[in-house]
Amino acid sequence: MSLHYTLSVVQAPKVMSNLQKTMSPQREGSLPKLNKSAGLWRDMVRWFGDDIRSILLNLKGVDFNEVEELRLRVGQPLLVRTLDKDLFINQEGLTASPHKAYFIKHEDLASAIERMTHSSVYAVEEDLKQGFITLPGGNRVGVTGEAVLLHGQIQTIKHISSLNLRIARDIRGLSLKVLPLLLSSDCSICHTLIISPPRAGKTTLLRDLIRSISNGVPQEGLKGQTVGVVDERGELAGMWQGVPTYDLGFRTDVLDGCPKANGMSMMVRSMSPQVLAMDEIGHTDDVIAIADALRTGVRILSTAHASSIEEARNRPVISHLLDQGVFERLVVLSRQHGPGTIEGVYDLRTGRIL
Amino acid sequence: MLVLGCIALITGCGCLGLWLAYRIRRRPMELRECSMALALLDTEILWGATPLPEAFCILKERTDSPWQDFFAELQERLQQGESASTAWRETMITRNAQFCLKPEDWQVIGDVGKGLGRSDRTEQHKQIELVQRQLIIMKEQAEAWSGKQAKMWSYLGFLGGLAGVLILI
Repeated sequence: MSLHYTLSVVQAPKVMSNLQKTMSPQREGSLPKLNKSAGLWRDMVRWFGDDIRSILLNLKGVDFNEVEELRLRVGQPLLVRTLDKDLFINQEGLTASPHKAYFIKHEDLASAIERMTHSSVYAVEEDLKQGFITLPGGNRVGVTGEAVLLHGQIQTIKHISSLNLRIARDIRGLSLKVLPLLLSSDCSICHTLIISPPRAGKTTLLRDLIRSISNGVPQEGLKGQTVGVVDERGELAGMWQGVPTYDLGFRTDVLDGCPKANGMSMMVRSMSPQVLAMDEIGHTDDVIAIADALRTGVRILSTAHASSIEEARNRPVISHLLDQGVFERLVVLSRQHGPGTIEGVYDLRTGRIL
Repeated sequence: MLVLGCIALITGCGCLGLWLAYRIRRRPMELRECSMALALLDTEILWGATPLPEAFCILKERTDSPWQDFFAELQERLQQGESASTAWRETMITRNAQFCLKPEDWQVIGDVGKGLGRSDRTEQHKQIELVQRQLIIMKEQAEAWSGKQAKMWSYLGFLGGLAGVLILI
């Protein structure tokens, strides 16, 4: 019998008992009450290794519905960010001061990454190059570490040092406040750009807009329109093995994981959408593709990072689009009264605030 | 009574021989099945970038038992959140008894698990290809031996039984 074989046999019982141990907290789960949000929470928590999972399952005094981000940084305390607070969590799942909180070990990150990728790093290769992983369900995990370069291009990220799990929300009816302002006189959708700083609900608003436009809103006189979604990062639809997690409406086609620039022309050619929606433009290729798509008569819905119209004008790529008069409406979001606060809707043709 | 005892001894030893021969004949077949499964896995990884649980599900459908059960267990373990290398190693141990493979075969097959899922697609392809090459060599050797060995064991069983009878009488 070979050495390797012998070693494996010796390790067998130990690992099996570990397996059983990992199963038990999930089953017993000391959650305060088993409601829907607890189920969602449990779904979220399964992406972490044993230590962090048991801490998060024991989490007390935090409303799961308010949790927006879970942050893990090597050698730093475990951080849960809610609507308005940053909470450091200790070994028992209670909020504590940063010094007494649970400190993240390297193994915690490694096992989280292993679970999040299903042990298949190669499958998220392209996403990892851009610094994120999309989990089934559309939740996005931001990743930082040491970038490995080849000929100046990022090959992958190694020695991962921080993870940021952002919990995606699906809020129905959010778009109804804005939608009337985005319609032109003949009841068609204006070319719209939604801007906000991070964590202000751009993607959530866009998701609901897509759903409303696709289903139609009879009270506004808006008929359902075919919507093509180019979901480069897999956040809008939360596709998992070809099935969208979020309902994007009856007339929506989703192109998942495709670069926006290629995806837009593919969509226009193949699915004849009336409205084309995409998340987070910011690359010069996207701008060229948008300009191209405009000539085919589709309406564009998109988002970008910027906290105000002035800031957007200072971003070269976005300002180029604004100067060209591509967009007709600009929606500015903020977190002033919680995520998704609408700061203003501008008519870019006249410069008026609607 | 004596005659019955003799017949029982001869059939017993004969069956043992036949069983050993069967196991020897199965080994190259199992190795071939394994190499085919690895080729499929390689395609799934390289061209489909399919995550491992999904890839094992495909392998499970395309292979025969005992490999079918092997990949089914792997898929289950990965879905429970085990890392690919531990899952591969553990499954090898638990499923070992269902196969007719030798420890040296398992050593080569175990190499697949070592870097599984940890690197990019081209790297995965290289590793699987390396194991494939070794497996093919082992399969050829096993095929060359199995014919002779299997025949020898099937005769040896009956003859051994006969010899036992002669000695006892």
